Amino acid sequence: MQFFAHGVGGAKDLPIPAEYAIAGACAALAISFTVLALAWRAPRFNIGEQPKPAPPLLATIVDSTWFKLVARLWGFSFFLYVAVAGVFGKDLAINPIFGVFFVLLWVGIVPMSLAFGPFYKAISPVRSINWALAKVSGSDPDVGLFRFPDRLGYWPAALGLFAFVWFELVYPFNSELGPLRLWCAIYVGVMLIGGALFGNRFYERADPFEVFSTLVGHLSVWGRHEGRLVMRSPLANLDLMPVRPGLLAVGSVLLGSTAFDSFKGSNRWTIWSQTTDLNGNLVNLGGLVGFILVVGVLFAAATMLTGIHAGFRRTELPGEFAHSLIPIVVGYVVAHYLTYLVEYGQQTVILLSDPLSNGSNVLGTGDRAINYWLSYHPTFLAVTKVLGVIVGHVVAVVAAHDRAVRLLPKRHQLTGQLSMLVVMVGFTIGGLALLFSS
Amino acid sequence: MHRRRRLAAGAAAVLISLTAVSACSSEESGDKGGTSTKDASVINVTIKGDTVEPNGKRYDVSLNQKVEFVIDADEAGEIHIHSKPEQEIAYDAGTSTHDVSFDKPGIFAVESHALEKTIVELEVR
Repeated sequence: MQFFAHGVGGAKDLPIPAEYAIAGACAALAISFTVLALAWRAPRFNIGEQPKPAPPLLATIVDSTWFKLVARLWGFSFFLYVAVAGVFGKDLAINPIFGVFFVLLWVGIVPMSLAFGPFYKAISPVRSINWALAKVSGSDPDVGLFRFPDRLGYWPAALGLFAFVWFELVYPFNSELGPLRLWCAIYVGVMLIGGALFGNRFYERADPFEVFSTLVGHLSVWGRHEGRLVMRSPLANLDLMPVRPGLLAVGSVLLGSTAFDSFKGSNRWTIWSQTTDLNGNLVNLGGLVGFILVVGVLFAAATMLTGIHAGFRRTELPGEFAHSLIPIVVGYVVAHYLTYLVEYGQQTVILLSDPLSNGSNVLGTGDRAINYWLSYHPTFLAVTKVLGVIVGHVVAVVAAHDRAVRLLPKRHQLTGQLSMLVVMVGFTIGGLALLFSS
Repeated sequence: MHRRRRLAAGAAAVLISLTAVSACSSEESGDKGGTSTKDASVINVTIKGDTVEPNGKRYDVSLNQKVEFVIDADEAGEIHIHSKPEQEIAYDAGTSTHDVSFDKPGIFAVESHALEKTIVELEVR
């Protein structure tokens, strides 16, 4: 991440050892084809069985008004606190807003959503403001002036996510307070106008952070069945991810950008980008867009290379399988951002005590030290990274397999999956190669 | 019949993959990741105008090893080492030497912020 180059950090993990990368790649290959050869031949997830209800006490708590209110209040107070740092704080690397934005929010969304489901939705400050505005004007926050057009699907969120990764990986002044403040102001502005126009549905489809969180939340054990809180296996939960236009775009932006960030960490890239005469911003933009397009196009093509039922449209296949990209994204985020989250996350919590950079210790965290246990244990870190990538890969392969046996005609179920399997193995080996050559 | 064939196919797949895995992991792999080549105890840095040498090269460094930066600059300035925690070297015009060391593994960029350039990367293990 470039922004650390100007103050907050800039340290990278050691490359994973070659033997780990190779063993990981072999495991990915082996498991993939074993799944293909041995796994079930009829869809297994969500075939009419009743999901397990969550413990009644838990359901009562989670569904209570006060719990929702506490979550909203917490999210909104945190938002206000960081906004104060953003508006009145100094343009210094010790302003906590940078760490909150790039680390706690962007990377922290993943573990929080894995653990709690649609986490951002519960705390979303823009939802809270929309709710308050609706209450003041005596209207319903769920209802806007118009109906959100279904054909847009997740495309607005894909665009928002791209705006984020562009800011993070391409925009050269992302470590300065002014541009970050502007980005956040545009985000809040667009979200409030969208909420007024389309109601809460807008946040479900267009808020980049909420969509990211909700999609990753499909890998948690938490779900809803007829309004009740239930527990499902993450695989069954993932299978229930609604198929909407733009789902593949969201997955491609997330995976492509993370891969590009990893690619940028290689020494070869550093030397090349410092000696080339090309415009650095354009090179970065081209790289980012290129990685995203490669992910999207390869995946879409691979899903479509199969025999299909008569009357089924081939162009629907990429969307039908796109949910299986999300576990790959999560695995790769774990591999690539774990140290960032743990170490710069701690750093951010420490900095949060001094939002205005005047030496205060508001939260009492200001004099804590960062625990560098992860950095001191590079072998543990490397194993965790490889395991993250492999587990993500396996979940993706299983999810795609189940979808294939549900959708494809019997005689194409095996061969129809081959191209997709090859692409997924390619993503995984590519990811391991990036971790190896960082 | 179908079932038996499936079982055979499955067994074959497992067998092939196990062979592959064991073949892979038994491979001689003394090489480590990354593209680092030079082992550094002395790193010469030349900063003249808006050019800096070296230009992003990566060096191998051992934990707690003393690394000596010999900086030849035409005017005073500072370079940042993005280690954990960060270190800063302030240098004067002319030639000066500065010792640093690292107690945590990782890849740490050494940058001139004024020139917005990575001078070297240190691969500490």
